[in-house]
Amino acid sequence: MKSAIFIAFTIYGIAAVISLFVAALIKGLFLIVRRVSR
Amino acid sequence: MPTFNLLDLFQGITTLISAEPLILFGRLGLIVLGGVLVYFGKKGVLEPLLMIPMGLGMIAVNAGVLFLDPTTATHIVAGSAPAGDPNVAAELARQAATGHAPGTLFMSPLVEKTEGLMYLMQVDFLQPVYTFAFSNGLIACFVFMGIGVLLDVGFVLARPFLSMFLALAAELGTILTFPLAVAMGLNYGEAASIAMVGGADGPMVLFTSLTLAKHLFVPITVVAYLYLGLTYGGYPYLIRLLVPAKLRGLKMPPKPVIKVTSDEKLAFAVVGCAVLCLLFPSAAPLFLSLFVGVAVREAGLKYFMAVIDGPILYGATLFLGLLLGVLCEASTILDPKVLILLVLGIVALLLSAVGGILGGYAAYFFSGRKINPVIGIAGVSCVPSTAKVAQKEVSLVTPDAIILPEALGANICGVITSAILTGIYVTLIPLLR
Repeated sequence: MKSAIFIAFTIYGIAAVISLFVAALIKGLFLIVRRVSR
Repeated sequence: MPTFNLLDLFQGITTLISAEPLILFGRLGLIVLGGVLVYFGKKGVLEPLLMIPMGLGMIAVNAGVLFLDPTTATHIVAGSAPAGDPNVAAELARQAATGHAPGTLFMSPLVEKTEGLMYLMQVDFLQPVYTFAFSNGLIACFVFMGIGVLLDVGFVLARPFLSMFLALAAELGTILTFPLAVAMGLNYGEAASIAMVGGADGPMVLFTSLTLAKHLFVPITVVAYLYLGLTYGGYPYLIRLLVPAKLRGLKMPPKPVIKVTSDEKLAFAVVGCAVLCLLFPSAAPLFLSLFVGVAVREAGLKYFMAVIDGPILYGATLFLGLLLGVLCEASTILDPKVLILLVLGIVALLLSAVGGILGGYAAYFFSGRKINPVIGIAGVSCVPSTAKVAQKEVSLVTPDAIILPEALGANICGVITSAILTGIYVTLIPLLR
């Protein structure tokens, strides 16, 4: 049970980092495409 | 003059009365449940596109049981994984050889060996669809492609951090259900599969359970699709319980509309697909399916859109419903683990909704009380149901309050976070065994 909780929160942590990375990527990409197309 | 037993003519009834009491009542119960699904589908309480074929499939597979001819039955027994108990295996082989093995002419999901499969594809009418499109996850990818075509990622591009934060919060059920399931006796693969119900995304649950818990993918997927239908009915009450009317009716200050061009959306699809496939090759088929749908939409490929949005999405949904129904044989559904799955499925969806609303409250406080906390529930990625539910609940209190754009952003990000979690589960869990 303890190890399952540890695994669950590790997975949540990895998912959080990747999701926020994707969000940053979206924002950065959005700005780059906007600047290039001007 | 040749004689015959009249009951041999009506084998559906003969197999019913000669079955063990558990199977008999299971079959009757599932026939009734199939009728209930069709009824609720027609009434719009549950998703009709899925529930009507599923209900009919459930009725047909539990009513249309016959004694299989010895050749077919022997192919099924020989082609399936051997039963653990040698006495059970011997009894199955004896029943098959003497023509007393009950079965149906729909399909045999447990047959794995090539020879048996090739034979059954010429006998069971749904076996080709099951073998070539279902058991490899293709049907989930088709549905995902259709979802991709329906998504307007502009809502995400306008507010990426808020949308992603809410979607992450609404994955609480996907995370917390995993240790709960392990505590209730499921192994890691089974626990991860049922935990994915918290992501509220049918194709993800199908994909995860096919990869990690193939023996339980039927009950898990059935539980998932049954409960997803309930988000329409149950979530409004949860919103009213957790968010007071004063906050539910909060009008968000109008923001300048950020116009996102189709070029920007296409660039997002290309880069998003590349990055996520690079990070999680195990879930790459899902990412490709989703982003190919988005790319086709944003590139304006009208003919492809018409194919994906029409025949592929609706064809896949029809066969998904039909196959799920036909998979609901009494002997499969009466697995003792199903009761645990029923409990965990609802817990997962409930926790995700609570997590989403907590995320909504966090956004409300961090934004200086400007963001309506109800949008948090839209992070549960049942596209677009939860976003619509959120808007409806807000409109009931303040008819001119508009939260739909923000809710759809969170909703679409919910699909992305569910896909990310699927990728992590299907990659990590096999490494832990």
